[in-house]
Amino acid sequence: MIRTRARWATAGLAVTALTSLSACSAGDAPATGSEGDAAGPATIEVWGWNAETGKQIAEAFNEAQDDVTVEYVLQASNTATQTNFQNAMEAGSGVPCLVQGFAPLTTMVVNGWAQDISEQVEASADLYNEGALAAAQVDGRYFGLPSGSDGQFYIVNQKTFDKYDVEVPATWDEFVEAGRELKKHGVDVTNLAGEDPSILMNLAQQAGAEWFAIDGDQWVVNFTDEHTLAAADVIQPLIDEDLVSNQTYMDKPALLEYFDSGKMASTTTQWWSLTGYQTGFPDSAGDWSAHPIPQFSDAAEPVTPGRTLPSFVPEGCENPEAAVAFSDWLTTPEAIEAGRNKETGAVGFPVQIPDASPYVEEVVPKDFFVDDKVAGEEIVAAQERVIGKFELGPNYDAWFPELQDQWGKAVAGEITLAEALEAVQAFVVSDLDAKGISYTVAE
Amino acid sequence: MSVNTQDKHATAREPVAGSPPGGRPGRGASPRGRGPRWTWRTAQSVKGASLTFPFLAGFTLFVLVPVGMALRESVYATKSTGGLGFGGQTVSFVGLDNFAAGLADGNFWAGMLRVFLYALVVVPVTQVLSLAMALLLDAARRRTAAGFRIALLLPYMVPGIVATMVWIFQYSPTVGPLTPFFEALGLDLNFFSSSMVWVSMGNLAVWGALGFTMLILYGSLQSVPHEIFEAARLDGASELRIAWSIKVPFVRGSLVLTSLLSIIGTLQLFDQPLLFRAVTPETITRDFTPAMMIYDQAFKVGNLNYATALSVILAVVVGVASAIIYRFTNREDS
Repeated sequence: MIRTRARWATAGLAVTALTSLSACSAGDAPATGSEGDAAGPATIEVWGWNAETGKQIAEAFNEAQDDVTVEYVLQASNTATQTNFQNAMEAGSGVPCLVQGFAPLTTMVVNGWAQDISEQVEASADLYNEGALAAAQVDGRYFGLPSGSDGQFYIVNQKTFDKYDVEVPATWDEFVEAGRELKKHGVDVTNLAGEDPSILMNLAQQAGAEWFAIDGDQWVVNFTDEHTLAAADVIQPLIDEDLVSNQTYMDKPALLEYFDSGKMASTTTQWWSLTGYQTGFPDSAGDWSAHPIPQFSDAAEPVTPGRTLPSFVPEGCENPEAAVAFSDWLTTPEAIEAGRNKETGAVGFPVQIPDASPYVEEVVPKDFFVDDKVAGEEIVAAQERVIGKFELGPNYDAWFPELQDQWGKAVAGEITLAEALEAVQAFVVSDLDAKGISYTVAE
Repeated sequence: MSVNTQDKHATAREPVAGSPPGGRPGRGASPRGRGPRWTWRTAQSVKGASLTFPFLAGFTLFVLVPVGMALRESVYATKSTGGLGFGGQTVSFVGLDNFAAGLADGNFWAGMLRVFLYALVVVPVTQVLSLAMALLLDAARRRTAAGFRIALLLPYMVPGIVATMVWIFQYSPTVGPLTPFFEALGLDLNFFSSSMVWVSMGNLAVWGALGFTMLILYGSLQSVPHEIFEAARLDGASELRIAWSIKVPFVRGSLVLTSLLSIIGTLQLFDQPLLFRAVTPETITRDFTPAMMIYDQAFKVGNLNYATALSVILAVVVGVASAIIYRFTNREDS
């Protein structure tokens, strides 16, 4: 008897422990999100995880005008925002009117979370740069608020390049050549973390690849077009000839020490990483110089990769105009100043506006670059050339871990990048089948 | 148990057609009635049973209801209404299709085999080391034992994710202290390499579980009557002989319990490979262990129905494995 009971108890415990892992569900019930009447200002909730300046920006906005009152609801993190948002949608109440993007925009549309705000956004499109406008669209309609992408540029350890008399590459072919030169001296041209395929995505985007495109009522899937393979052709020799290191981001102290040692000569980066470099590279600070990201030799004009997760107005928000008004106000000098961090004294770099140059000086860290002025110019140029849009399709969350798996194997030399991309495409296709979404694979 | 059974019989005899619920007032007081509905004894047992209410409420709310919801979830499938996937989703009843797919899913069972082989090594190592620690503590002076007991329990108090992060920094080939340590011993070990990842995770698992298992075994050893030791000593048995022939058989029941807990935990291996994935992504894939695959299906792929079905399958496997081991060890006992 006792034995039977114990066995049932054990089985019960096991069932509990496991099923609770997945006892969670998503839904798409819309609900109201704004309050207010014709007489008073509309009140909207804005959800985000900007702990430093989110509230003070909202307060400045509320003081600056009388039409809309923004309540900034601080979330613990990206993940917490997603969880709370899904719960609010499921419950059908307390849905905010503006949410900081926690996943790619198309995912928001597929889940029925983001509403079409084309009418509102088009009215004020000239406040934003092209990349920001491109990033906010799915299938030609605005489902997101124009959101700036962080344009990629290229930093090199100038001391190392000078020491071994290597030219800073302007094209990706030259980049591989520079890698070969530097390897002769035991220096890696860059780092490819096994868990992070973003460099492949960036290069594919820069080359002009479209992994997902919309053709009428179906997706066109294409992970193996000539542009993506051109990107793979840049990375493959780096792996085959062992021209790079494979330090993981998980072991950050080791990564920073390695970057700082002069043994890694260059990396692509974006403006927000610079403060971390300044504190993380005590020895090599002052040795680095900024350059445009290398281009593909056959590029018609220089372009910069860069993506973003745009903020959006949820389905159920009855006052999208108020959300867009707040978003528009964020482009004003007054709003940018309101976002100055009281502790660090820094403003956030306004990547969504047409000309961010007046603010660039603020984001160039002191004593890190050989020439701060040139660095500032490169950051601004990267923003001006940023592509912004790279369609990630209706099932990004599903296929990205597969890309990570395949990338990890390719970086370890177990398979080629071309094989990895084929495997990802095969996964995408089977997942779209399982989800019942229409697609065709490009010839 | 017997009280409840009697009461149930009493109640079963009681109903009289047409009588109002609860019976007539005063009826229970009559010793000559056809069986009292509400006796002192029933009142006592209801009172006693009511003490279990907080547990039962929690158990129902946080165990039975979620399990019920999960079972319901697992017999449905959620699909897009077609086209670009922008038109919402439909949910349809698919019976046991998700379970059939799970039973035939090669990746899921490959993961199961991995954790099973891993458990074959990690569980015995944990048990043997914990038993050795418990026996050593038992042999030590009480005050010394108390100090060591707390020190050995410390790893158990560290949350799994934090422990994994701590060990990743220890293992780091560049900045960690272990690589130079083993180099000094003439061993060139890279704890981040594909071939070492099982050792790296296993060491971490043993380190985390040692204190807890040791404490249970040590507690069990404390209950062994000391007269037996004295008798054995008088008969000339060495301390080692006493440990092997008296102490170990005495803690066998506890060993079965700790082994079961260890197996259940190991088959659900999740947080360690999740973090080690960044270190050796070519080895630790998204579906490396059953629990990782369930997480991936639920929160990455977004197929909650299939993830739930896989959870149920894993639960059954763990339950069956536990039952087999329990029966096996019990039979040996008898």
